[in-house]
Amino acid sequence: MLIVRNFSLHSQSKCLIDSLSFEVDKGEILTIMGPSGIGKSSLLAYISGTIASDLSAVGDILLNDTTLTSVVPHRRGIGLMQQTPLLFPHMTIAENLLFAVPNLYENKTRHQKVINAIRDLELQGQENKLPDTLSGGQQARVALLRTLLAEPKCLLIDEPFSKLDATLRTTTREFVKEKIKQANIPTIVVTHDPDDASAMGGSIVHL
Amino acid sequence: MTKTLLSPAYIMIIGLLGAPIIIGLFGILFPAFGYFPALGAQNWTLHYWQQLFSAPGLLSSVLLSVFTGVMVTIMSVWLSISLVAITYQTQWYKRLQSLLSPILSVPHASIAIGLLFLLSPSGWLLRIISPELTGFLRPPNWITVQDPFGLTLTLALIIKETPYLLFVVAAAIYQLKPSQTLETCQSLGYSRLTTWRKILLPQLYPLIRLPILIVLSFSLTVVDMALIIGPNTPTTFAVLLLSWFNDSDLSYRYVASAGAIMLVLLIAGIIFVWELTRFLLQKMARRERINGKRSGIGDLLLLIGALGGAASFVISFLSLVILPIWAIAKRWRFPDALPSQVSFSNIAQAWPVLSSTTIQTLIIAITSTLIALVVSIFILELLRSNAKTFAANKRFFGNFYSQKPLLFLMYLPILLPQIGFLFGIQVLLISFDANGRYSSVIAMHLLYVLPYVYLTLSAPYQSYNQAYLLEANRLNHKPAINFITIKLAMLKASLCTAFAIGFSVSMAQYLPTLIAGEGRITTLTTEAVTLATSGDRKKVGVFALVQIIFPILVFFAAHTIPIHWTSWRLKLKSILRGQFANRT
Repeated sequence: MLIVRNFSLHSQSKCLIDSLSFEVDKGEILTIMGPSGIGKSSLLAYISGTIASDLSAVGDILLNDTTLTSVVPHRRGIGLMQQTPLLFPHMTIAENLLFAVPNLYENKTRHQKVINAIRDLELQGQENKLPDTLSGGQQARVALLRTLLAEPKCLLIDEPFSKLDATLRTTTREFVKEKIKQANIPTIVVTHDPDDASAMGGSIVHL
Repeated sequence: MTKTLLSPAYIMIIGLLGAPIIIGLFGILFPAFGYFPALGAQNWTLHYWQQLFSAPGLLSSVLLSVFTGVMVTIMSVWLSISLVAITYQTQWYKRLQSLLSPILSVPHASIAIGLLFLLSPSGWLLRIISPELTGFLRPPNWITVQDPFGLTLTLALIIKETPYLLFVVAAAIYQLKPSQTLETCQSLGYSRLTTWRKILLPQLYPLIRLPILIVLSFSLTVVDMALIIGPNTPTTFAVLLLSWFNDSDLSYRYVASAGAIMLVLLIAGIIFVWELTRFLLQKMARRERINGKRSGIGDLLLLIGALGGAASFVISFLSLVILPIWAIAKRWRFPDALPSQVSFSNIAQAWPVLSSTTIQTLIIAITSTLIALVVSIFILELLRSNAKTFAANKRFFGNFYSQKPLLFLMYLPILLPQIGFLFGIQVLLISFDANGRYSSVIAMHLLYVLPYVYLTLSAPYQSYNQAYLLEANRLNHKPAINFITIKLAMLKASLCTAFAIGFSVSMAQYLPTLIAGEGRITTLTTEAVTLATSGDRKKVGVFALVQIIFPILVFFAAHTIPIHWTSWRLKLKSILRGQFANRT
């Protein structure tokens, strides 16, 4: 369960978001809708602990009953998927995925998880290629699976489909929904597109 | 927002950068007025200034230096700008860029030696055209190199500084988006060259002012090139100061210190006059700019400049080609265009000294460049993490608390004349008995390696998309390792370029090695300069050749390795472990 209480966001002197509160349960998807520039991405950055230095934000975040605000970003257990897939260009697709699998598993298990993911992505035979050989839609899928392979306790998605064309958008959306369901973690999707919002099928918060 | 102060790490960096500058300045300021406790002198006096001004040949030395410095700056600015203006948007522009890095990476001393081999009365140029064109069977009794007016020294400096300014101009011009301007002005009927002259160059100057002033200060104070190819009587002012600093009569040190201060003031004065002249010229040109003429004789200036620039490239190429020829020449009688007998015996003879000198040079160059890289990365990360503090401080305290002082302190050693500043630091080295140690030589090299490494690295480093690193830290909870395997790995091309620049800067240093090494530690450059005056061309050729090989190799590697690194790594991986796919 992810709980956000009284989140407020200010830039310089302007108030962007005032006292926003919500809860997202396991396996649930919450969609946050609003025009660009309103601070949606900053909310996600605040939750993941990497908010830009020129913004000031306050608010409590609880993930499975632990306060996150004092935890360093890389220990928060938050998965964030952004508009740009951010696949590491100097590592192969398999290496990108393997990078995310926690090393508390044995090496064999880690590799098996990557092999399963590649099968899931239908990229068999391409796993040793560099990510720039993939199309935009494929990159977005790899990025999602990479995020999930890290086994986050909560998933944040920031306009993941905005760079894709209409048909690719529908199929990628279905793929994402299915994966979220399997992962069974609280998920927040941020978008400015009403189609995306309704397609995700969860509750919607308008900013 | 609360008023924030700077982090202790930042203040420490400021202190580390500032300390050598303060030491260097006071290390010549005090002796100039007779205060030098290390030599037992504690009486303040103006005596040494009187001695300086009454020194024989002072005026001619100073005039010679001023002439060389100003001429080199005017000429290399003219040639480099003309070359860019003429070749821009043609295929020559790219070709020129690819020619730059070998010439940029080559130490000044090797260019000067090559030019000596090329232009001297028994040099290659005369050998090529003799005896057919000249009828000479033995070298004529001319004074070509080391001429009393410093013309060959000026030429040598122009050859070395034009590519540097060309590099700077090409980097700056990128920001001006000249293609759009050219299109607009050409649609108004202006010729290409007039557009450059009237529209682009006035915008360009502020962007390249600092590099121009660096060229000015460098040309006025250069020592190694002046020793090799400069005039002997009188010598340039910097060489005169060097001989005073090294005089066995220690009292000359005080006079030299006074002279070094005079040199700093001289440079400041010339920079002032330079900027004033530019200001007046710009005022005068303002009217010409809007007179509506679409083309003019002024365009011819750019054309001639470009021809001169091309000539300077050809000469520098020839002076580099001559080095390996002399290095393997066994018999080379005067009018022959090429040696009649070649062998590797020159190299074999030089080997004992050559090998140990090369190892010392590499140790110094690699260590100082690696330290400079680590320090640059540290400073850049510090600036990134303090970005919020800087923004806040700038609002409350102005620029003084921004990152400007840091950059100023880092670049100051390049602008200050080495000849005074480094002898000021030597005072401290002597009093701690730290002379002739690797650590001292490396520290001295760092003063010059660090600014160039930082300058090369900062732009690509600051434009790195930090989101990659943040994403990596979310996926895999090892920020320290991710910093290396993700951020630095993605920046490897820029890191390699910065390394190559730092390496070649270190390879080229003469005075820092000479002063801190005290003859116990020598490099290829100090050896080559010492040998160059000896006249043994074969031996000099060998040293100068080795001196240019390493920077060129490092530049080549820095360009090639990052491009192929990932594919090589993947190939190696697939050979070592078998294809990942095979196990699916």
